[in-house]
Amino acid sequence: MDTLYSEKNRVLRRSVRSFCEREIMPIAKDIDQEARFPWEVVEKMGKLGYFGIQVPKKLSGAGMDSVNYTIVIEEISRVCAGLGLCVTVHNSMAIYPIMGFGTGEQKQKWVPSLARGEKIGAFCLTEPNAGSDATAIEATAIRNGDHYVVNANKVFVTNGGVADICIIFVRTDPDAGRKGTSVIVAERGTPGFVVGDIEDLSGMRSNPVSSIRLYDCKVPVENLLGREGSGLKIGLQALDVGRIGIGAQAVGIAQAALEEAVKYANQRRQFGVPIAKHQAIQMMIADMATQVDSARLMVTRAAYLKDHGKPFTKATAMAKLHAGEVSSQVADMAVQIHGGYGYSKSYPVERYYRDARVTRIYEGTAEIHRMVIAREVLNEYK
Amino acid sequence: MSFHIVVCIKSVITEAPDKRVIRTPEKCGMNPFDRPALETALGIKEKTGGTVTALSMGPAVAASALYEAMSMGIDRGVLLSDPCFAGSDTLATSNVLVAAIKKLAPCDLILFGTRTSDSDTGQVGPQTSVQLGLPLVTCAHSIEYTDSGLLVERRADDFLEKFQVSLPAVLTIHPSSVQPRDASLSGIETAFEKKEFETWDMAALDLSSDQVGDPGSPTKVLSMKRVKRDRKCEFVDGSAGEQVDALVNRLLEAGLIG
Repeated sequence: MDTLYSEKNRVLRRSVRSFCEREIMPIAKDIDQEARFPWEVVEKMGKLGYFGIQVPKKLSGAGMDSVNYTIVIEEISRVCAGLGLCVTVHNSMAIYPIMGFGTGEQKQKWVPSLARGEKIGAFCLTEPNAGSDATAIEATAIRNGDHYVVNANKVFVTNGGVADICIIFVRTDPDAGRKGTSVIVAERGTPGFVVGDIEDLSGMRSNPVSSIRLYDCKVPVENLLGREGSGLKIGLQALDVGRIGIGAQAVGIAQAALEEAVKYANQRRQFGVPIAKHQAIQMMIADMATQVDSARLMVTRAAYLKDHGKPFTKATAMAKLHAGEVSSQVADMAVQIHGGYGYSKSYPVERYYRDARVTRIYEGTAEIHRMVIAREVLNEYK
Repeated sequence: MSFHIVVCIKSVITEAPDKRVIRTPEKCGMNPFDRPALETALGIKEKTGGTVTALSMGPAVAASALYEAMSMGIDRGVLLSDPCFAGSDTLATSNVLVAAIKKLAPCDLILFGTRTSDSDTGQVGPQTSVQLGLPLVTCAHSIEYTDSGLLVERRADDFLEKFQVSLPAVLTIHPSSVQPRDASLSGIETAFEKKEFETWDMAALDLSSDQVGDPGSPTKVLSMKRVKRDRKCEFVDGSAGEQVDALVNRLLEAGLIG
């Protein structure tokens, strides 16, 4: 797998791994247990460009491509999936819609501070009654002169507790069905913008996932992204891109679980030998390594297609689906290899097991991904 | 004061080899002991201005160390590469570095890591300084500038020695003297956009084949194998008191305590 990467890819991976192992790995267990967002590390990540990976340099970003993006996300997630989530959602779901659909002025206004990590971004689509069915959102933005009056109840917002700039999906024309959906950018601190309690989640606990509610919040008309009614198009494109990052995140978790399992299998002795000598363990290790490699290859292919301007919806959906399932399976096998100790917080595989689970749920459930893939495949061979 | 600082870096093998050293791009990276030398050079440049040049001798795959240095922010990278350099020991390596440093002259400061993580000799810095006829301080821990040169603290075991050194000088930098910076993502992007490191071969350095590679190396590596460490477990019999006495005697005999 390594030989498929360029010199630049390798230098990047070494550099990010070295930073993550030195700065994040020592605190990963604590920030998970304390459900704490590590500002001290996030600040350093911002200075190194992790919050503007694909943003052009003229807007304070690093100007990297998608393949390099997946490497950064995988390496952060290998040590702390909650921070990997923060970075990928910030880059793909908050910055990408502004870069893809914003005007020059909008990009100048929001992107540089996001790219430097001085401000954190969030993507607010999900509502209590609208998850997989994004068309069912109830949030409204009613135009009143030079501003919209926005009312919204957004839940499970990744980065919600720390986000300054939020991409909010609303209905600008409540009677127009799916064509009435639009995207506005709302900034924290605007009167009526309320951050709800941080969710007490099973995994990804270092990420302050929260609800965000807007009560008669006045948002200037110039904060509309794209045109009125183009909300679903923006959302679907952002999700296509975001799924590459979630796939990379899932690969990072699986890689960490594989490494821990191998380490433990070589140390733990039962029946007079390290358990790695037992065929039952070897079968699991072989399956885990094969799964991780296949997931990484699929994620890299999706990123490669995007970098080369090719259609990538199917490849991305397949990569995210597969990587999410691999991540759960590999973390599960890592726990199994650890036996009782794997079920204890004394070993990191317990955390990987909890973190892996949600990669089959968010940014489109595994079931929605199968629908997307089936639609693409049925069209392809028609 | 504006320095030209040359930092000599090495692309090391990051996985322990067995019997034969095979350099592949996946198993090469910058010697971790060179990072503090680069950081020291970049720190001086930030304070006083000037330029930082990194030199690295090795085959084409050694370029990864130069890319890493360029990502950290050096001004110029030079790869010293020629098939004739293969098999160079530390003396032949310093012959090549000396020729390159003379070509880069004037240089105010030449920095090395204290040693490398693969061959671990720590000889190349000192050999280079001797050949250049320049003062040398190894394990430099802090550097101050004076009108007459540098005040350098050298850290060896639990002692700090302070030296006054005239310039130009050669220093090897103690690994705990500074925290090397991380390459920023835009630094990495820029390093690979520029791709501006030069490659100098034997002819460019005006060297002859008897100064480099096998002919220029008074030492030869004849073989290499892993050392196997045998561990054995012994049980000490007797009452608790007797067991303690026996254990203490055993540790005394082994010279581990006392």
